Amino acid sequence: MEKIKIILDINGLPQEVEISSNDTLLEVLRDQLDLTGSKESCGEGACGSCTIHMDGKPVRSCLTLALEAEGTKIKTVEGLADGDRLTDLQQSFIDHGAVQCGFCTPGMLMSADALLKDNPKPDKARIKKALAGNICRCTGYTKIIQAVAHAGNPRNDCPDCQHQNKQKE
Amino acid sequence: MRLPKFEYIGPETLDQALDLLDRHKDDAKILAGGTDLLVRMKKGLLQPKVLISLKALTELSYIKEDDDTIFIGSATPLADIIASDLVQTHAAALSTACDKVGAVTLQHYRGTIGGNILQNTRCHHYNQSAFHRSGRQPCHKDGGKICYARDEADRCYSTCQSDGATALMALDAELVLVSKGNERTVKLADFYTADGIMPFAMEPHELLKKIIIPKTFTTSAYQRLAYRSAIDYPIVCAAVSLRTSGTTIDDARVVVGAMGRSPLYFAQASSSLKGKDIIDTDAFHASAVQAMNSAEAFAVHNAGSTLEYRVTMVEQMVFRALEKAAQPGIV
Amino acid sequence: MSEYSLIGKRMPRVDSRAKVMGKAKFTADLKLPGLLVGKVKRSPYAHARILSIDTSKAASLPGVKAVVTGDDTEGIKWGVFGYTRDQQFIQTEKVRYIGDEVAGVAAVDEETALKALDLIQVEYEELPAVYEPMEAMASETERIHEDFPNNINIHVNIDTGNVDENFEKAYYIREDTFTAPEESYFQAEPYTVVANFDHEDCLEVWCPNGGPHMKSKPLSNAFKIPLHKVKIKKISIGGAFGGRSEICPADYICALLAKKTNKPVRIQFTREENTIGTRQGHAMITTHKTGVDKEGRVLARETTCYMDGGAYSSTGPIATSVPFLSMEQVYRMDSVRYNGYRIYTNKPIRGMIRTHGRGFAAGLDTQLDMIADHLGIDPIEIRLRNVRKPGEYTSTKSLVGSCAMDETIHTAVKRSGWKEKYGQLPPFHGIGIGTNSVQTGFPMGIRGGSQSFIKFNEDGEAFVMSGVVDNGQGNDNMLVQIAAEELGLLPEDIHLVSADTETTSSDPGSYSQVSTFVGGQAVQIAAKKCRKKLFDVAAKILKVEPETLNAENRMIFVKDNPEKSVSIKKAVRVSLLNFTSVNAEGGYWPKVDMKREWVKNPYGQMCEAFSFGTTIVEVKVDPETGQVEVLNATACQDVGKALNPLVLEGQFEGSVAMGGQGGMLTEYHDWKDGRCLNSTMLDYKLPLACDMPDIHCDIVESIEPKGPYGAKEAGMSIAMSAAQAYAGAVCNAIGVYMDSFPLTPDKIIAAIKEKQSCSEK
Repeated sequence: MEKIKIILDINGLPQEVEISSNDTLLEVLRDQLDLTGSKESCGEGACGSCTIHMDGKPVRSCLTLALEAEGTKIKTVEGLADGDRLTDLQQSFIDHGAVQCGFCTPGMLMSADALLKDNPKPDKARIKKALAGNICRCTGYTKIIQAVAHAGNPRNDCPDCQHQNKQKE
Repeated sequence: MRLPKFEYIGPETLDQALDLLDRHKDDAKILAGGTDLLVRMKKGLLQPKVLISLKALTELSYIKEDDDTIFIGSATPLADIIASDLVQTHAAALSTACDKVGAVTLQHYRGTIGGNILQNTRCHHYNQSAFHRSGRQPCHKDGGKICYARDEADRCYSTCQSDGATALMALDAELVLVSKGNERTVKLADFYTADGIMPFAMEPHELLKKIIIPKTFTTSAYQRLAYRSAIDYPIVCAAVSLRTSGTTIDDARVVVGAMGRSPLYFAQASSSLKGKDIIDTDAFHASAVQAMNSAEAFAVHNAGSTLEYRVTMVEQMVFRALEKAAQPGIV
Repeated sequence: MSEYSLIGKRMPRVDSRAKVMGKAKFTADLKLPGLLVGKVKRSPYAHARILSIDTSKAASLPGVKAVVTGDDTEGIKWGVFGYTRDQQFIQTEKVRYIGDEVAGVAAVDEETALKALDLIQVEYEELPAVYEPMEAMASETERIHEDFPNNINIHVNIDTGNVDENFEKAYYIREDTFTAPEESYFQAEPYTVVANFDHEDCLEVWCPNGGPHMKSKPLSNAFKIPLHKVKIKKISIGGAFGGRSEICPADYICALLAKKTNKPVRIQFTREENTIGTRQGHAMITTHKTGVDKEGRVLARETTCYMDGGAYSSTGPIATSVPFLSMEQVYRMDSVRYNGYRIYTNKPIRGMIRTHGRGFAAGLDTQLDMIADHLGIDPIEIRLRNVRKPGEYTSTKSLVGSCAMDETIHTAVKRSGWKEKYGQLPPFHGIGIGTNSVQTGFPMGIRGGSQSFIKFNEDGEAFVMSGVVDNGQGNDNMLVQIAAEELGLLPEDIHLVSADTETTSSDPGSYSQVSTFVGGQAVQIAAKKCRKKLFDVAAKILKVEPETLNAENRMIFVKDNPEKSVSIKKAVRVSLLNFTSVNAEGGYWPKVDMKREWVKNPYGQMCEAFSFGTTIVEVKVDPETGQVEVLNATACQDVGKALNPLVLEGQFEGSVAMGGQGGMLTEYHDWKDGRCLNSTMLDYKLPLACDMPDIHCDIVESIEPKGPYGAKEAGMSIAMSAAQAYAGAVCNAIGVYMDSFPLTPDKIIAAIKEKQSCSEK
C-alpha cells in the first residue's frame, strides 16, 4: 500500500512525514521523528506509557492512527520542557523521587500535566483518578501522587512534604 | 504491536460515509475512537479492508434535548457525556456508566458512546493474540465449531461488557441507525441477536447515528464490579431506572450486564417493583434475587473471576443500583 | 550534624532528569544503521516432538534477511548451574511449553517478519502434557526431560535433626496446606534485545539485564567465542524484579540473526511474549507443620513445598530454597525439616521474583496467627517470641550479625496504632502483620565479588567504573552518591561508567539484593584509596599531615581549620605534574562459605548480612461483595543504614504495591490447557494508583558492621512482609483463616458464607 504524506503539528513544529494508513501515531513519533520518549509497553491502550496530548487532552498514541492526528496539536514528553528548563511538574517528579525505572514516567507526566492544566490544585482523589490509566510497576504511586500534588512548590525541601513529615513525627 | 494493513477513508459528511459503507459493506469498519476496534485488529481478530473514520463528522458529536427526550450523537466522546449536567439529571445511570469505562486518560477523550455500545462481545478464550489462538481448534467466533467457555456449546457465548449499553437499556434508549437512503429506529432491547459471533442486529452498511433517551424515568443508577477501580471491563454490572410518583414506583427497568451476549433486561424483576414504595428494601431484595436467578442461565465462565461469584454478585449489583436510584444521594 | 555530606540525605536521583525529559534511552529506543526486525517463532503446543521444520518459504519472502532454527546452533544446552543444563536456545527435538522457541527470522520491517513467521512450517507430533505439579509427579506419560524421573527437577532437603523428637515435646501442633498460583513480573519495559557484530567480529548486545556479565558468559559459550568478544552494553532498564537475571533465548536468537545477516537486529517482545517467553513466578503448594510450647514458641517445624517450575530449570535450585530461607532467617527454627520439590510441567519457565514464595510466607504467618489464636496470645507477642535476634545462627548455619527485627515490629506496631485497633475494629475491618527477612546476597563463586575503578580527569572530575547494573531501583545514583561522598565531590562531578562488560569488571548482578553491599562497597573502597592519594598531595601543598584533612564540596581542607584548603582540581593537577596517578581500584568479596551449595550442601554462611522487616496493614472488606479496600499500610525495615531515604521509601512503597496489593489481592495467572489466559496488561491485574492505600514508611538502622556505612538489603523484604500482612489483615477482617492466595473477592465471599452457615448451624 502506498505511503501518504501528511503534516503533523508536534510540540509546536510542523513535521512532514510519509506514513502508511496502518501506522499508529506512536510508531510515527518513535520510528520517524525519533521522539522515543513515548513508550510502548502494552500496545493495547491499557498501560498509559504512550500517553501524549492531542489538542491538550491526554490520549494513548498506540491506539491513535497517525492519520487521525492530522490537524491536531500533538505534544509529547519531549515538548514539556522549554529547552533545558523543566516544568515544575518535571522538577517535582525528580525532587519527590517519583521516578524509578522511568519507563512509565513520560506517560505519567503527560496525564498529570493535563490534569494540572485543568485543575492546578487537585486533591489526592482527583490525582489518583487522573492517573488511574497509567500503570507503574516500581513506585506504588505514592511519590508520583506527591509529586503531582506538590508540583507548584519550588524545588528541593518541598514545604508540603516537610509539613507532612512534621505531622508524622 | 502492529496493525494489519487497510485503506483509510475520512469522509467529510455523513452522506459520504453512508455511500462508502454502502459500497464496501462487510469489507469496511467504522473507526470512531478506536479503543475497541484497533485492539481487535492488532490481535488479528478483525482484518477490515477499509476503515471509514468518523473524525471529520463533528455533526455526530452532540448532546441535545427536547421536552421528553435526550439525543446523543454516536461520536460523542465519553468525557462530554460524563461532564453533561443534562445527562446527569435525566440519565444518571449513563453518566456513571461512562465514568467507569476504562480510565480517564485512556478512554474518555477518544472513546465514544457509539463505540462503547458497539464494542464487540468478549471472551477470555477469544480476545487473545493470533499466537494464543493457534495450535488449537478455532472457536465459534473465530470461525470454528467449538466453545472453550462452555462444553458442547452450539454457539458463541462471548459476553457483552459494555457499561454504556447496560445503562442505556435500563433507560429504555433507542438507537437510530442510518444507511444510504434509509433511517430506522430500534429499541436497544431489540438490537441484539442471540449469538455472540455477530451480537448486533445491524447490517454491515448501517451506521449508528444517535441515541435517543426518553426522559421517562425519574431516577436511574448504575453499579458494577471489576477487579480494579479503573481500566477493567466489568465482570458483572447492573443498571436500573425508576419512574415514581411521590414515593411510589410506577415503573421500573432492571438490566444486568456483563453476564450474557447482551445486556439482560429482566421483565419479572422489573415488574415486581411496580407499586412498591421507594424505601421498600424488601422489594428491592426480591427483585435483585429474581434478577440473579434469571441471569444465571446466561452466563459462562469467560470474563475472569469465577462464574459462581459473578452470578452471586448480580443480586448485590441490582440491589445497590436500586438503593442508589431510590436515594440518589448515596454513592 | 551528620558525619556525611551526602550519605543519609534525601538525594534526588541523578538519572531522573533524563527520564522526565524523555531522553533516557531504553533498548527499544536504539537506532542503528540498517537495523533489522527480528521475531521468534514459538511452539503453539505444550508438549510435542518436532518432526520437521521447513523454512524455505519464509526465507524466500522478499524482505526476509535470515531465518534460523536449531540447526544453525551449536546445540548447546544452557543452565544457570552445571547440573541444570536443560534448555536449548532454539529447540531441535521437542517443545515443552506453549511459547518454546523453534525458529527466528530477521526482516526489513515488522510486517515482513511476522509474515515470515507464518510461512515457517513446523510439523509436530503432539505428546501428552502435564500442567500441575502433583499430576506431573504422578504422570506415567513421556517425561518432560528424559533424565528426570517423576518430572522432579530439583529436590532441596534441609534437616537440622531431632525434628520428630521435638514434635513429641510440643504442647500444640498444627498442620496446614497453603496454595498460591503463578504471578508475573510485568516490568514496564517489555523485553527487547538489540544485537550487532562490530568491525572486529565482537558481539554487541543491548538488553535489560540483572547483570551484564551474567549475559556475556552464556553467549560466549553458545557462540564458542572468547568472553572479550561479547560486549554487553549499558542501557536504561525498565524494571526487573528478578525477571532479568539470566540469559533469555531471544538474546541468542537475536545475535545469531545478526551474525547471519551481518546487520544489527532488534527483537522486541509483545506483552504476551514478555509474560510467557521470559520467566514467571512459581505456583506453590506448601504444607507447614508446626509444634509449639504453651507460650507459642516454635519447638519443631516441618515444611514441604511443591513448586511448579514450568518447562526448564532456570534458577531452580535457588528458587526451591529461598522461600524456606526467608522464613528460617526471620523466625528461629532450631529444629526443622524442609523438603522443597521443583517439578517440571508443560508451562512457561519459572524463575526468581521479588515476591517469590508469597503463599509460602503468608501461609506460615497465617498458621502462626492460628496458633496464637488457639493459645490466646496476641499476634505481635507470638512473633516477638519467635523472631530472630542478633548474634544467632540460622537453621542452615549462617551467623546473623546486625538484626533489629524486634525494633521494626515495635515501630510498626506504634505507627499503625495496632494496640488500639487489634480486636477492636468495627466488623469486617481487619489489621494484620507480616515479618520477613531477606539475605543480602548468596554464594556466587567467581562472580561473588565486585570491582571498581576510579580515574580523575585534569578538571577535577572523576570517572567511576563499576559492574553494578541499575534496573530502575536507583543503583546508578547509589554508586554516584558513595563516590561523591568519599571523594568530596558533588554528584554532578561523578561520571558513571557501569554495567558494561567491556569496560567494567564482573559483579554479582542486581538480583540477589547485593548491589549496595558488594558493588557499592567496592566503589567506596576505590574512592577511599583515591582520596588517600589526593590527601597525600594536598598535605604536601598545605604542609600538614594527611590525617588532618577532609574533603567536601570539591575542596580538601584541614579539619580544624577549613580556611586552609586546596581545591581537588588543583590537587589532581599537582599530582599529575609530579608524575603520580590519581586513579584507584577497589574490590569487595563477601566472606561467605564457598562450600555452601543449594542442593548438595545447603549449610554454611550464606551471606554477610540479613535484612529484617515488618509490614502492618489495615483493611476493610465489603461483606456483600468481598471487595477489599486497603486503608493504610505501615512498612518498616531494618536496612542497616539508609544511604538515601528518598530511594528507600520508593522501594518500600513499590514493595507494598507488588507484594501486598497485587500479590495478595489481584495478581495471579489463569490457564486453559497450558495457555495463559491473562498475559496482557489489561487481563493481568497490576495495582493502579486509584486503589493504593496511604503507605507510611519507617526506616530502622541497625548499622551492619560489614556493610558500606552500615547498609544492607532494602529492596525485597517489604514485598514479602506486605504479602503476609495483607493476608493477615483480610483474615482478621472476615474472621476466617484463608489457605488459598491471592485473596480474591470470590474466595472471600465463599469464606464469609461458609462461616455464616456454620454459625447458623
